[in-house]
Amino acid sequence: MMGIGSYVLEVFSPVLEFIEPVIPGDIFPYFFTLEMFQRALIAAIVVTIVAGILGTFLLVRNLALMGDGLAHVSFGGVAVGVVLGAAGPLWYALLFSVISALLIHEMQTREVLTGDASIGIFLTGMLALGLVVLRIWGGGITTDIEGYLFGNLLLIDPASFDLILSISIASTIGLVLLHHTLLATTIDPLAARVQGLPVRGIGLLFSVITAAVVVSMVQVVGTLLVTALLVTPAATAQLVGRSFRSCMVWTQVFGLSSVLLGLYLSAELETGSGSMIALVAAMIFASVAIVQALYKTFISPSENLA
Amino acid sequence: MVENLTVVRGSKKVIEDVALTIRKGEFVGLVGPNGSGKSTLLLAILGFLNAANGKIEIYGEPSTSNRHLGKIGWVSQAAASLPPNIRITVEELVRLGTLTRKNMFLRKGRNQDRIAKAIEMVGLEEVLHTDVARLSGGQRQRAVIGRVLASEADFILLDEPLVGIDRESRNSLLKLLDELCHSEGKTILMISHDMAAIRQTAHRMIYLEETIKFDGPSEEFPDLEGLANLRGIEHVHSDHVHVHEKEEE
Repeated sequence: MMGIGSYVLEVFSPVLEFIEPVIPGDIFPYFFTLEMFQRALIAAIVVTIVAGILGTFLLVRNLALMGDGLAHVSFGGVAVGVVLGAAGPLWYALLFSVISALLIHEMQTREVLTGDASIGIFLTGMLALGLVVLRIWGGGITTDIEGYLFGNLLLIDPASFDLILSISIASTIGLVLLHHTLLATTIDPLAARVQGLPVRGIGLLFSVITAAVVVSMVQVVGTLLVTALLVTPAATAQLVGRSFRSCMVWTQVFGLSSVLLGLYLSAELETGSGSMIALVAAMIFASVAIVQALYKTFISPSENLA
Repeated sequence: MVENLTVVRGSKKVIEDVALTIRKGEFVGLVGPNGSGKSTLLLAILGFLNAANGKIEIYGEPSTSNRHLGKIGWVSQAAASLPPNIRITVEELVRLGTLTRKNMFLRKGRNQDRIAKAIEMVGLEEVLHTDVARLSGGQRQRAVIGRVLASEADFILLDEPLVGIDRESRNSLLKLLDELCHSEGKTILMISHDMAAIRQTAHRMIYLEETIKFDGPSEEFPDLEGLANLRGIEHVHSDHVHVHEKEEE
């Protein structure tokens, strides 16, 4: 059976090969020619696009750390998967992440604990579980495990490529179709409920989508660095955007620049890809924030009102 | 219509034995001190809080039936309800009003007339594409009202819409609400601390403090002394009562 991954690769690999001649660098062009690297590049781009859409909503919902929390939970899942000898530990990550997201959502809506605290408990608890089971039953922190912590594009085999693409496509469809409703339930849950919108159901669905998207990002940037693609581009966009729509577009601009520039630099300087992407994303945020602050101070002080 | 309503939250009886009927096209002001049960009454009317006793009917249906959802509009206090981390234009915000349970996947272009009309009614045509965060308090509250007007709601509940708004905007906002009743045939139930403002605009006033202590035409709403009697505040010093009332406004 041909998976969705090989289909996507079949369509896009000629495109990548076509633009390869204009790609700078000594190593970066391999991302456009070698199948393994092509897979990594496509996965990184797709994951960034979805993370950007999701991140905008996370930011508005004041759940910027939700992604980070679920990523650590995913690591616990990966660890359990590895120890159990699973061929695809990402499936365990998905299971752990989705269940935790639903529990966190319920704890928040039932006001058992405020947002941050419940996320914190799951984050540390599941990360600890992962570390403990790896130490006792696994081989400790191996290179593979390190890949899940800091991201390793070469971990993306055809099976996880399929999983990443499936999650990304399903989440994008869900987020795009429901984006108005999501916005309405986020901005004013009570008004949305009066309007007849299923606020609780939408909240649960959003949690599941977040959990799944985080898992799809684990191999690309690593559990410790998921926030870099989930929140940083969206936060940068809030600085320059003037409407929800324009923020969405800016998020993609910043996210994709972070990924492409990050991959390029990590290939050429031989650093980890996840850390370089995260660093570039943070630097883009810092540059935009500084430029904006200077602009507001020296050129157009009246704009400070907003 | 509300009949013998009692709502208990936790172990405390918040409102007791409340009965009222609101007719179509009425503009009712609901006043009362903090913690008097105003919000509780509204939430109960919406069916989000269960009554310990009594019943509530909206458009002839029990309020818990969910049938009325969509016919009622909720306007929250703009100052408190918009999240800080969001960039959203007036038009984008108003468009959200057109969402319904059956129409959750909005497409651009649909309901454009209703959106434009709602924005015109609240007088925000000039700032159509402006980020709501950059508007004044009064404009922001108008945008939130515009969102309800874009829906098909006939019965509009407003929770403290006058908070954080300067005098001029307050007056034009009250005028807008008055017009909605008269020209658009909307029914309005508004909570406010601003008794003077409500008295000027609403047709009818309800004073709630655990139970309804006054319900009648705004002109007949008691003055401060009458109100003190109504509330059972003792005349230690008449000055004392005065100060107390002012704090509430």
